[in-house]
Amino acid sequence: MPLNAPPVLDLDNARFITGAVSINVAACRSGGFPALVRGLGCRLSADRSTVTLLLRESAAAEVLEAVRRNGLIAAVFSDPPTHRTLQLKGVDAMVLRPEAGDVELAAHYCDQFAAVLLPFGHEVPMVRAVLACRPDDLATVRFTPSSAFSQTPGPQAGEPLAGAR
Amino acid sequence: MSIKLDAIRECLEGVVPGNIATCAADGTPNVAYLSQVQYVDSEHVALSYQFFNTTRRNILASPYARVSVIDPHTGAQYRLSLRYLRTEDSGPLFENMKARLAGIASHTGMSGVFHLLGSDIYHVLDIEQVAGEPLPSPPPRRNLLAALRACTRSLCAAADLDDLLARLLDGLEIYFGIGHAMVLMLDEAGGHLFTLASRGYAVSGVGSEIALGSGVIGVAARERTPIRIGHFTAEYSYGRAIRNSLEQRGIAGIETEIPLPGLAASCSQLAVPILACERLIGMLYVESEQDLRFSYDDEDALVTLAGHLGAGIRLLQQLDVHDDVAIADVVPPPVSGAPVLVAHYAENDSVFLDGDYLIKGVAGAIFRVLVSDYVNKGQIRFSNRELRLDKRIRLPDLADNLEARLILLARRLIERDAPVRIEKCGRGRFTLKVSRELVLSERGGSRS
Repeated sequence: MPLNAPPVLDLDNARFITGAVSINVAACRSGGFPALVRGLGCRLSADRSTVTLLLRESAAAEVLEAVRRNGLIAAVFSDPPTHRTLQLKGVDAMVLRPEAGDVELAAHYCDQFAAVLLPFGHEVPMVRAVLACRPDDLATVRFTPSSAFSQTPGPQAGEPLAGAR
Repeated sequence: MSIKLDAIRECLEGVVPGNIATCAADGTPNVAYLSQVQYVDSEHVALSYQFFNTTRRNILASPYARVSVIDPHTGAQYRLSLRYLRTEDSGPLFENMKARLAGIASHTGMSGVFHLLGSDIYHVLDIEQVAGEPLPSPPPRRNLLAALRACTRSLCAAADLDDLLARLLDGLEIYFGIGHAMVLMLDEAGGHLFTLASRGYAVSGVGSEIALGSGVIGVAARERTPIRIGHFTAEYSYGRAIRNSLEQRGIAGIETEIPLPGLAASCSQLAVPILACERLIGMLYVESEQDLRFSYDDEDALVTLAGHLGAGIRLLQQLDVHDDVAIADVVPPPVSGAPVLVAHYAENDSVFLDGDYLIKGVAGAIFRVLVSDYVNKGQIRFSNRELRLDKRIRLPDLADNLEARLILLARRLIERDAPVRIEKCGRGRFTLKVSRELVLSERGGSRS
């Protein structure tokens, strides 16, 4: 991606992926074996060019190992009430140590997402069981989205977002 | 594989949507949401193929996939390592998934969007539990094995088919807590099922018919497979089944005379074939107004129960229980009131009492024989054995269940408050009780 290219994410999609949405992350291990882990939150650089995903390190071992090996990543974000779904892909993913504020961000994400799921009959303790993470078990992966696709179910599913490559 | 697929089936119910990760040939990963993960057997799952999307392109190029599922009660997460084997676009598994997907689509506001193109079958290579902080499992709602044992033990004591059905419906209610149930028998010659017994409905619907392939019961019967739906779906509702039945027959005739029983807004449906020696003999259907009322374990229990039921029906049939001892002479009650016109239409053996529809098909033919012999010979005592040999009845198949037809007829006579009743007077024997004079009328063709 040229240095001066506009970010793949517009403001609306930037707000969407950093909101209380479900996050799942995939990578590719050697031999073409996929790896998969649930995301525990997401933050964006100020210019919206890089995305940082929060992961539970003990659950993400394969994803982290694959990212370290080849930098390839896919992340899908979905809003349960509306089914709005967006997938981002990148080729430059890096495993990084959490930054100040990441533990709080993960806790905030867990609270917010649990509130979204409550009307669907999912009790808060169950959602916490899925998303809770010890501070010393947090890892992050940062990447530059190089392509973005709408995956909202329907005829437009799978189409690249306008402006995305 | 340290964790067995059987042990985590509840995670496959889709309460929390699963995810699938795949890789393209160039190593680009992809991740998507799954609307359906279907348990096939202890080593296989099937995923719904609905669109030709990146996931599909990837698994055709490289067959390995990772799927994550979550236990809706404990929050425990599992990751399945899968290898794609093949796609089925017809048959029992496909129809099962299609029916369930209709329920899922309706529940999630995706009716008209979700459309099953195929069932992608995967071999489960490994299952791992993902690190997390799951909650303790809630206690089971009931012990289904204990319920099954108690219910099958009760079935074993049945004296005849009528008793067997009563014990089944009682057992479902007492041991399984299932208050809405029906048993339908297959009319092989007619290509339809007829309701023989039901529980938990405003009207019994005994005698109502459903065509093979119509609604959840008809599709499950046609495919000889259990079908379990966890959410309301108009596509498989009983109202739709009625319309389909009529459309398939091309008439809006006497079938409308007996409405199917059924909950108008059934949220959970489970239709289980009753098989005996691999032959379909009927269907057991249960339903509930509660979402996701029936689990994989409930399905297993009722499939096993239906197996006992099928064997019981066949066994009772073969025993052909019959009292040879002389039965005390029955004094026919005096007839009174205006005569009743009994019209029989030869083409479909339909019978009308004073113009009101009573019954048709084999049960109609049986009724005609009984009332003919009553009017012409004054006969009021009959045995199942003589009916089985009676050429006027033309039982469609040796295996056809005469006793089921007699139960159907007896119940219809009661429900129509008819002046003719059938009452058992010993094993394999019954008497005809007539309270008004009967006038027989043979009509050609059929009335619709």
